[in-house]
Amino acid sequence: MNLFLYLDRESPLHRLDPRTKLFLLLGSFVAAVLFFRPAPLLALMGVLLLYGAMGRALGNLRRIWFLLLSIATISVLTWSLFTRGVTPLVWRVTWEGLAYGIGAAVKIDSMIISGLIFLSTTKTEEIVLGLIRLRVPYQAAFAFSLAIRMVPTIIGTAVTVTEAQRSRGLDLESGGPLTRLRNHIPLLVPIFLHTLRNTDQLAKALESRGFGAHRERSYYLEIGFHAADVLALTLGALVLSIFIAIRFTG
Amino acid sequence: MIRLEDVSFRYRAASERALSEVSFHIRPGELIGLLGRSGSGRSTLASTLNGTIPHLARGDLQGRVSIAGRDIRGQRPRDLADTIGFLLQDFEAQLFSTNVALEVAFGPENLGVPRREIHRRVDRYLQTVRLEALRHKAPAGLSGGQKQRLALASVMALEPQVLVLDEPTSDLDPAGRRDLLEAIRGLRRERALTLVIIDPETDEMGWVDRLIVLDRGRMALNGTPAELWAETARLDALGVKAFTLARMASALGLREQWQDPGQAARAIRAAGWRVDDGAANSLRRADAEQSEGEVLLEVEDIHHRYPDGTDALSGVSCAIRRGEFVAILGQNGSGKTTLVKHLNGILEPTSGEIRLLGQSLRGQPPSRLSRRVGLVFQNPDHQIFAERVREEVAFGPRLQGLSESEITARVEEALEAVGLADAGDLDPFVLTKGSRQQVAVASTLATKPEVLILDEPTTGLDHRELQGMMALIRRLNRAGHTILIITHAMAVAAESARRVILMRDGRIVRDGPTREIFADEAALLTMGLTLPPVVQVANRLGIPALTLEELVGCLTRTPERLNGRTDERRSQSP
Repeated sequence: MNLFLYLDRESPLHRLDPRTKLFLLLGSFVAAVLFFRPAPLLALMGVLLLYGAMGRALGNLRRIWFLLLSIATISVLTWSLFTRGVTPLVWRVTWEGLAYGIGAAVKIDSMIISGLIFLSTTKTEEIVLGLIRLRVPYQAAFAFSLAIRMVPTIIGTAVTVTEAQRSRGLDLESGGPLTRLRNHIPLLVPIFLHTLRNTDQLAKALESRGFGAHRERSYYLEIGFHAADVLALTLGALVLSIFIAIRFTG
Repeated sequence: MIRLEDVSFRYRAASERALSEVSFHIRPGELIGLLGRSGSGRSTLASTLNGTIPHLARGDLQGRVSIAGRDIRGQRPRDLADTIGFLLQDFEAQLFSTNVALEVAFGPENLGVPRREIHRRVDRYLQTVRLEALRHKAPAGLSGGQKQRLALASVMALEPQVLVLDEPTSDLDPAGRRDLLEAIRGLRRERALTLVIIDPETDEMGWVDRLIVLDRGRMALNGTPAELWAETARLDALGVKAFTLARMASALGLREQWQDPGQAARAIRAAGWRVDDGAANSLRRADAEQSEGEVLLEVEDIHHRYPDGTDALSGVSCAIRRGEFVAILGQNGSGKTTLVKHLNGILEPTSGEIRLLGQSLRGQPPSRLSRRVGLVFQNPDHQIFAERVREEVAFGPRLQGLSESEITARVEEALEAVGLADAGDLDPFVLTKGSRQQVAVASTLATKPEVLILDEPTTGLDHRELQGMMALIRRLNRAGHTILIITHAMAVAAESARRVILMRDGRIVRDGPTREIFADEAALLTMGLTLPPVVQVANRLGIPALTLEELVGCLTRTPERLNGRTDERRSQSP
């Protein structure tokens, strides 16, 4: 089972320079925080889905649909209950509150989807290389990429530990909240210890393979700006300016 | 090349020294095998060779270690990376790249090797470990054996003068093991490469130049394989497996050294040993007389497809009877673990049926099934969490809602069964890997399952621990437990299991008595499975023996060869 998000595919997005994709990611975040109304945010999500489809990355949505749905539900419920408005809908919920809730949901989900597209089409090594070209020190860029890699490793450990403890009769589904919480201790201890030991081994393995040995490090991958990057950045800038124009004109 | 002078090391917080006044010298191009039971200091010694000790492990190092004339005190492991390649025992933790090719490239990148040269090395060493077809795959998605080969390639790509390999084949199937050792030999034919290899399987060490045996941090033996060949008693005393063929020779009263099973079989015949047909037939008869119990588990045409679309099982059917001892064998990735995870409900088949005593498992949660089908996972550290061994073992019975007195009784009984009766109050984490494995078995035993399944119960154990674990499992089987084990250790299957299930590509390809299946050596070879030396010799002599005792029991010496003595002398068991 592969828990990593990167999809090894051929697509125009995969071929873009990681820096281009990083800029587009930041641009989408800027566009998302500009608005509170659902309409432009839904338009942004549409643009992002189109972008993701070009990168053949939308298959990964299946893996996080539950997260996206939970965020959307919680945000619509809480914001529509607690935001004051003037047009009543039902009970204490107003049209304005509901719209704000939907807006917030679409905003957060758009940002997550944008991040997902980035990670699905960019190898962590490319991210590191991109960051270095942007003058981030190698050690810092590598630490960032390791952090990204740690998440799936820990999930993998968690899956195995859960299977092992369920095989011993652990029931995670029944009981009150306190019982359920207590039932997780047999999972947390092995996961924590295993991760700690892994980290220690990783440090030794990195050193053994010369990590940090030379100031001048070479790279297996090559990155560089091409015509497609110029095109992508121009389009991105254009779309972002349209969103900014919408925000400040009406 | 490598020089150790009076080297001692004590880990911080440890009371005893892990290494004690070790001195030796390894010449350039020499091939050294490092043996010793777990805790003897093998891994500690290996860690001093590239400076992981003292630079990355806290403790007190005395004496002097120098590599190619450089003292390791002044060199961090990263500074030595182009001189000495170090493959850690825990290979999972060493892989972190997006794909296989980038994993191999990481080392050379750190050394500032030009890009074109990195490309050449990536191609070269992926080919050496036969992973070139998987170069775009994510390391996390590889099987255990493939990961181990990848970790090796990523160290080889540094093109060091010295390679230190800490148990490089622990998770490999016999074919993978052979391939990997062949790759290392190939590398040595091309250029001078000094090699230090730790491997508990003495039988695989016949090709090294020199064997060093450690015991409690001290160097106990140091000699060529030929010199240590006849030292079966001393190796036994040090907790190290002796050469199987040497044990065979001494059991037959022969003082020769054999390179391989073929030579052994010829020498045994030449010495006048003949097959005792009566004894051979009685072995076959004993198998046939095994009483067969009722069918406990019935697997009917199950398929399993993982969410990513891989077919892990494609139509598996088999039946497990009460009281059986079955070994599931097959190459890495053939579906063994996936199959057993279906038997206690951790996985549900995509299609097909599994029945326990006639009742379908579908929809039954593992929390309830676990009382009847116990599954012990490969790595005990994936499940041990309690601060006391006793508490750990009580976990399962407690979840069943048993009374305190019943729980106590079961814990004591389970600890007694695995030989840990005195360890109840210890912290599981101070125990050795072998004992932690025993704790895991005890904690499953305490739930009194009808079937006990063990996934690779001997991985990472030393010779003595392995013998202890297998003796325990056989004892449980004799006491009436139905046993199912997954294993790569063919000797383990030969010595313990009465029935073997062979898996390949998610299917069962052979299923029958161990004796029958192990007699067909050629068929097993096509599946990448190599028989243990004893069975290979037995097959060449036409004897259906699976253990050394059985082999010796089936041989008799022709009377006329015994200097005129006319009475027929039967051999004794060793």
